[in-house]
Amino acid sequence: MIRTVSTGIVSLLLYGILILPFTTYLKNKPFVEKLGYVPSVAALKSVAADHKELVAATLVLKVLMYFGGLVEKADNQVAVPPDYMSMSRLLHGAVKLDPYNMDAYYFAQGFLTWDVKQFKMANDLLDYGMKYRTWDWYLPFFAGFNSAYFLHDYKKAADYYKLAGELSGADLHKSLAGRYLQESGQTDLAITYLSTMAKIERNPALKKTYLIRLNAFKEVRRIEIARDRYRENHGKMPATVEEVVQGGLLTPVPRDPYGGTFYLEADGKVATTSKFAFSGVKGNSSIKSGEPNERH
Amino acid sequence: MTTIIRITLKGIFRDRVFQGIMVTACAFLLIPVIASLSMRQVTELSLTLSLSLISFILLLLAVFLGGTSLWKDIERRYTFSVLGLPLSRQSYMIGRFGGTALFVLLAAAVLGVAAFAVVSYSSAIYPTDRPIVWSTMAICILFDALKYILLIAVAFLFSTVSTSFFLPVFGTIATFLAGGVTQQVFEFVNSPASKALSPLVKKLATILYYLLPNFGAFDLKVNAIYSLPLPFEGLLLTAAYFVVYVGLLLSAAATIFSRREMR
Repeated sequence: MIRTVSTGIVSLLLYGILILPFTTYLKNKPFVEKLGYVPSVAALKSVAADHKELVAATLVLKVLMYFGGLVEKADNQVAVPPDYMSMSRLLHGAVKLDPYNMDAYYFAQGFLTWDVKQFKMANDLLDYGMKYRTWDWYLPFFAGFNSAYFLHDYKKAADYYKLAGELSGADLHKSLAGRYLQESGQTDLAITYLSTMAKIERNPALKKTYLIRLNAFKEVRRIEIARDRYRENHGKMPATVEEVVQGGLLTPVPRDPYGGTFYLEADGKVATTSKFAFSGVKGNSSIKSGEPNERH
Repeated sequence: MTTIIRITLKGIFRDRVFQGIMVTACAFLLIPVIASLSMRQVTELSLTLSLSLISFILLLLAVFLGGTSLWKDIERRYTFSVLGLPLSRQSYMIGRFGGTALFVLLAAAVLGVAAFAVVSYSSAIYPTDRPIVWSTMAICILFDALKYILLIAVAFLFSTVSTSFFLPVFGTIATFLAGGVTQQVFEFVNSPASKALSPLVKKLATILYYLLPNFGAFDLKVNAIYSLPLPFEGLLLTAAYFVVYVGLLLSAAATIFSRREMR
């Protein structure tokens, strides 16, 4: 009896000693490892047997948890660049297993465009999803936005928005097709898109990223309006944002939620040193070298 | 034979299998929490998880009840006393199969009710864009149960030729995995992508495709999760396939069992 109890106590002690380094090790495992390696979809399909939808959902949740963790780190001022390519690979695998999984399309759209700038890849994925989710207006809505805003393919965008309008039965998308599908309406287009995304988003981490971007674009819009008023008053384009502020046309002073500074490009386009990303702030030198602003 | 079915059912309940299922089914309570992690499809995810959990529990039942039922009887020498009664070996075996199959149906019904509760709870909290079609969900669970009953028949066939439970249990698991991919393999073999494969492999794959049970047809999860319309004709064909295939397996098992030497 005493022997059993003492063995138990020793085991417990050993567990106590071991558990701390063990959990620390797991916590500090590199992210790439955490996201894991996904075997070929054909192999996954075979092993998944009749649980393909479950495996697909697990892959999506894995990416979501990973990304959620990174957003939290960014909040604590620890900017870790996400492994977007692994994220994309996992989501592509997920829709091969379950082509109806909305989370995968939705999430891929969230980062493939602004962050990774793989607009064509995003639209190809959305086109694939549209073949299956024939009732879903979100997919053509996303694809329409990508076509108009990033790819400047207004004809295609109009087709997508038309489809989104037909599927949703809402006039919003039909009017989007007409109103914003021109170069001048870009900021408004982005604001409408981001408002819709932020409104429907339930995941706090993602909602936050949408709201921050939305705020940034609202500031851009404010500067654009003030800039145009300045031009009307003075008959010329202002050279800097400060000029507009000093002219009393822009109060309060615009603030970039990503921590950057707004400036005007040579053609009067509003840009920011943060490039609309937290990790972009350190790249201030890029303005000097004439690197284009990355709103598009 | 009905007596054997009744005895089998009673035996399963006496072994506390049902309580085991209930403990495993506690996982249903976690489903709404996990499903709420989804961004755009909470209800769909809770349906996915519920249906997968049911499928997993039924698989365990099919493999272990189906694979050990006959073996246990022979091992415990029940067969000697039972077969001393005016009862043919065939009807004894079919009765055993019937009882196990009935239990799987019963478990599917109970788990189906639990899934119904979980999904309605999830959809009440996070209303879904797509209406849930409850009848599709019920049919999906029914066909899942049919699939596992077919698997039980496979397990019985293995049991009739084996003296231990290894072959029935592992053979059944292997059949389950193989039966799930035959359709995929068959389609690949008949597609231009398989040019590099040798004709012999192709032939072998085709033979296996017709020989092994095709479980792919019974999987209606995607229809239930995303409320897609069910292919009525396809379901009829699948049901007919089930009847014929189970009939074939049982007649083979009965033939072997009646000739088997028991010591």
